Amino acid sequence: MKKVLLAFAMTWCFGLVGVVRAQAPAPGSQPAPAAPPPAAAAQAPAAPAAAAITDADLKALSGPKAEDKAKGDPGGTLTGTVSDIPVGDAKKGLTVADVVNLVGQNQIAINFVWTLVTGFLVMFMQAGFALVETGLCRAKNANHTMMMNFMVYGVGMLAYWLIGFAIQEGGVGAVANLGGTAPLSNEQTMMLFGKTIGLWGKNGYFLMHNGTYDVGVMVMFLFQMVFMDTALTIVTGTAAERWKYVAFMVSSFMMGAFTYPLFANWAWGGGWLSSLGANWGLGHGYCDFAGSGVVHAVGGITALAMGILIGPRIGKYDRNGKANAIPAHDIVLVLLGCFILAFGWFGFNPGSTLGASANGNLRISSIAVNTMLAGMSGSFGAVLYMWMRYGKPDGSMSGNGLLAGLVAITAPSGFVNPVASVIIGLIAGVLVCLSVEFFDRVARVDDPVGAISVHGVNGIWGVISVGLFADGKSNYGGSWNTVPGSVTGLFYGDAGQLVAQLIGCATLIGFVFTMSFVINLVIEWVVGQRVAAKAELEGLDIPEMGSLGYPEFVLKADMMGVE
Amino acid sequence: MALVGLVITLLGFGIAAGSIGMTASTGGRLGLVLVGIVISLVGVLGVINQAYQKNAVWKR
Repeated sequence: MKKVLLAFAMTWCFGLVGVVRAQAPAPGSQPAPAAPPPAAAAQAPAAPAAAAITDADLKALSGPKAEDKAKGDPGGTLTGTVSDIPVGDAKKGLTVADVVNLVGQNQIAINFVWTLVTGFLVMFMQAGFALVETGLCRAKNANHTMMMNFMVYGVGMLAYWLIGFAIQEGGVGAVANLGGTAPLSNEQTMMLFGKTIGLWGKNGYFLMHNGTYDVGVMVMFLFQMVFMDTALTIVTGTAAERWKYVAFMVSSFMMGAFTYPLFANWAWGGGWLSSLGANWGLGHGYCDFAGSGVVHAVGGITALAMGILIGPRIGKYDRNGKANAIPAHDIVLVLLGCFILAFGWFGFNPGSTLGASANGNLRISSIAVNTMLAGMSGSFGAVLYMWMRYGKPDGSMSGNGLLAGLVAITAPSGFVNPVASVIIGLIAGVLVCLSVEFFDRVARVDDPVGAISVHGVNGIWGVISVGLFADGKSNYGGSWNTVPGSVTGLFYGDAGQLVAQLIGCATLIGFVFTMSFVINLVIEWVVGQRVAAKAELEGLDIPEMGSLGYPEFVLKADMMGVE
Repeated sequence: MALVGLVITLLGFGIAAGSIGMTASTGGRLGLVLVGIVISLVGVLGVINQAYQKNAVWKR
């Protein structure tokens, strides 16, 4: 059986490599040309010369008669006509200005609705995380694990509304897709090696500060808030089954207020990582389309800091340091949660265009397809690895493989082609299995849900993969991070992009880890991170939450870790 | 010991970020960034984690 699986996997991999070679430029050839600027793109289909439309032409137009509309419109031909265009001045009647203003507002409205609805999808991912994490933990901690996932939403949102959003987006400047967001224009800067670099934003506290009570800013806040909350909920998985609830609340608040927003500003808010291209010629600067680094690696690296600091669960290792398996209590919850997360990812990645109209945003179709393909190949990678290594396709690792593929494609989803997406996901699926084994057996960092491997390791892999696989075909308004042209990776001719991505990785491992570790070390000194051993053995539901997750269950003593 | 690990971890970040000002060569920057990442990983997994493993719950 193993030989059959091995042959299948190798055939598949070699087949993919062949396809990529067929599409990639030959060594030494010119890199793929950058996409044309928007003006040139707009000229592409030659339009016949047409006479200018005047106000008089518009006055000649008439909508459906009132008596016809009174009969209803079952065919949909009477609804949405010239009579539905609002008139600015009733005396003048319908003018060209009215029509043009409506076109502009419709474009922004499409982008608002797109960004809001995809943000709602991302919010629903909290339910997926809650199911995955609770299912992977033991039944005696179900209420506690679920309550961490429940309250991280509120705690994170409070911190982000008060402080985090201003730090992250306070200096991002005008976002054309959302009609401006001009009030977000105050970035703290400094000089480094003769260049001005951004450090953190300063507008937007409470969403009222310095004119930020603005419709575009509100859309931005909602979308960025649910991303931030995704990063926070990653940590609860690693520290599950032994984290004091009060420490979790304080730690999550600090992460939502400072750790996450700071890195997010550097990558997305006009900070120094995003300007590596404009300032130092490194490709288009650090590029992270939807947050493999900003969201997932920040969450995963913080989870690593917490995992080291809080230590392994009682019973995870014997006295010789040999790892014991602590099985998931409900694989049904786990896999259902994975499906919910995969669904939410259609908000995560395509939504990160912040619009569906203009500026190259029709690429949302490509981004959505890349997302689903990488999830598929991620689960295949994990299933095949586990099947070949252990003789069975492990359920929880299959789910983690799906998530690993999705995490890895998050950064490159807007810059790569479908074949690259499959390769990125496949590597992620194998990588998550290797990484779980490494942290479990070699590093001895106890991670009940595999969050460090799924989000941290594969988040970093996703960031690197932009620097390798970006094909130079995307065009979001003619530039990215103020550098003209399309994002292009090493395999398509731009080594500088890979360096920019690696500097982002170094920042995640070196700076974000240190910041997270120090914050949580202070919390350890002030309130303590870990519950008492007695509470851990009993299960945290009663000691920490006051009620059992499953009061009608009879919990086996050996499953509770009681010796 | 954990404090030493934190310093090493930050040092790795400093080398990687500083690479942009140390050389204009893409290859040189790539090398420095990779060195910085390795140093940070040594700080995290080789020093801080080892320091905490000494008093791990399963050794008590």
